[in-house]
Amino acid sequence: MISLRGVSLTYANGVRALDDVDLEIAKGAFVFLVGHSGTGKSSLLKLLYREMTPSAGNVFVDGIRVDKLTRRKVAQLRRNIGVVFQDFKLLAHKTVWENVAFALQVTGARTKDVMRQVPRALDMVGLAHKSRMFPSELSGGEQQRCAIARALVNNPKLLLCDEPTGNLDPSNTTEIMELLQRINLKGTTVVVATHNQAVVDRMRRRVVRLEDGRILHDDERGFYFGGLGQTQVLSG
Amino acid sequence: MDWGRLKFFLGEVFTNFTRNAAMQVTAIGTVAVTIVMLGAFLYVRDTVASVGNGLLSKIEIAVYLTDATTDAQSKTIAAKLAADPRIASVEYVPKRDGLRRLQEVVGKDFDTSLLTTNPLPNAFHVRVHRPDQVAVVAAHIDRFAGVAKTDYAADTVDKLLRVVDVLARIGLVMIGLLVFTAAIIIANTIRLTVFARRREIAIMQLVGATNMYIRMPFIAEGMLAGVLGAGLALGVLYIARLEVIPKLAQMLAFVPFQVNEGMLALECLAVGAAVGMISAWLSVGRYLRA
Repeated sequence: MISLRGVSLTYANGVRALDDVDLEIAKGAFVFLVGHSGTGKSSLLKLLYREMTPSAGNVFVDGIRVDKLTRRKVAQLRRNIGVVFQDFKLLAHKTVWENVAFALQVTGARTKDVMRQVPRALDMVGLAHKSRMFPSELSGGEQQRCAIARALVNNPKLLLCDEPTGNLDPSNTTEIMELLQRINLKGTTVVVATHNQAVVDRMRRRVVRLEDGRILHDDERGFYFGGLGQTQVLSG
Repeated sequence: MDWGRLKFFLGEVFTNFTRNAAMQVTAIGTVAVTIVMLGAFLYVRDTVASVGNGLLSKIEIAVYLTDATTDAQSKTIAAKLAADPRIASVEYVPKRDGLRRLQEVVGKDFDTSLLTTNPLPNAFHVRVHRPDQVAVVAAHIDRFAGVAKTDYAADTVDKLLRVVDVLARIGLVMIGLLVFTAAIIIANTIRLTVFARRREIAIMQLVGATNMYIRMPFIAEGMLAGVLGAGLALGVLYIARLEVIPKLAQMLAFVPFQVNEGMLALECLAVGAAVGMISAWLSVGRYLRA
């Protein structure tokens, strides 16, 4: 699903966010991207949905070379990628239903499809009963579920989450992570950038750790700080 | 037709328009002031043009034949004149009719019965379709065999043509300048509304809306502001017209106030809509590229 080959990313100010990174993520995988703030996690996600282009190397998503896309094709690409952020990015003056429908409507979707897909996405995240409420009337966890519904409404093959639980308390965090697992079980590839060690260590999925723009370790069923889990916390 | 899609689009335009009401009022006001000036000027321009064209359409070319010109030659000339597509009408004025007309023009003070011979030549009176062709057609006829000379009010034609032409040019420049100024002000206003909606735009881009689709509501909004401004201006102009034109018409009795007001109103609306659309396109475009 995702393939990065020799990818480097240097900002205009000379800071090297990614340094010759190779990474393969299979279809249907669930992957944590971990590391301190500023180690290039968000930048890596941005390369995938073409918010940024690499200074060197190639980025492939679902067989498409993303770094070479024209502006028009970028729009097409993003309809196949759902993105979720720490700050939800919901529109305050629109209801839950309208926020989710918005993602379809602005791509020119037919009303018939909107009416069919929005309830399905809201059901998936368990917000169908609050579809007429505004974001300000929801809890943080519910707002994030609304954002996830919006990311899912296009039936994307890939869901990217940038610190999805960064603004949430532990119980809401658990809820959101369980939701992401369920989405993954339905076949969507999920990549979660986080520095929530508890979540990563509990879930034991593939963990890719970035440090100073390089991949420090990459383990199946890994821990936040590497293969040995908690013991690394003490020394790391 | 997918009514839901249309409803969504119009809903977006409407809510955004009313949400930024204060800024839209600025834009509408700018367009209105611009178009009041433009409309007043265009009215004057059209009036002068209609006066000018009215006078010009009465200009005749007098084609005088030589005394030696035979009937056959004169028939050939008549045929050539009739065949020329630039010529609207041809009238043959034989010398005795010419004398009678002269008598009518100069009146009793000049007694033509005192003349022993008729000094006037036979002539054709020619009118052309387009006033700016008077000189060319006259020069063309001048070369016909049997034609002594052609004559027309050269000075009047030249001056009138120049006035109409200059006014048309000034009109174009004015439209350009006013549209440019208004577009800048409106572009700034719209830039503020774009900025106020940067979250929507970011989300639209994120979920894969095309730039064209992101632009459209803004352009519709700009157009709406432009047309509303133009409508307001037309209202002001209409009231001014009711007050001012009858008085002017009284003072300048000889001026025919024949302006195509429907056309003028359409022109103003079109300029308003264009200003709104262009400025919206520019201000959103800058944002999308950034």
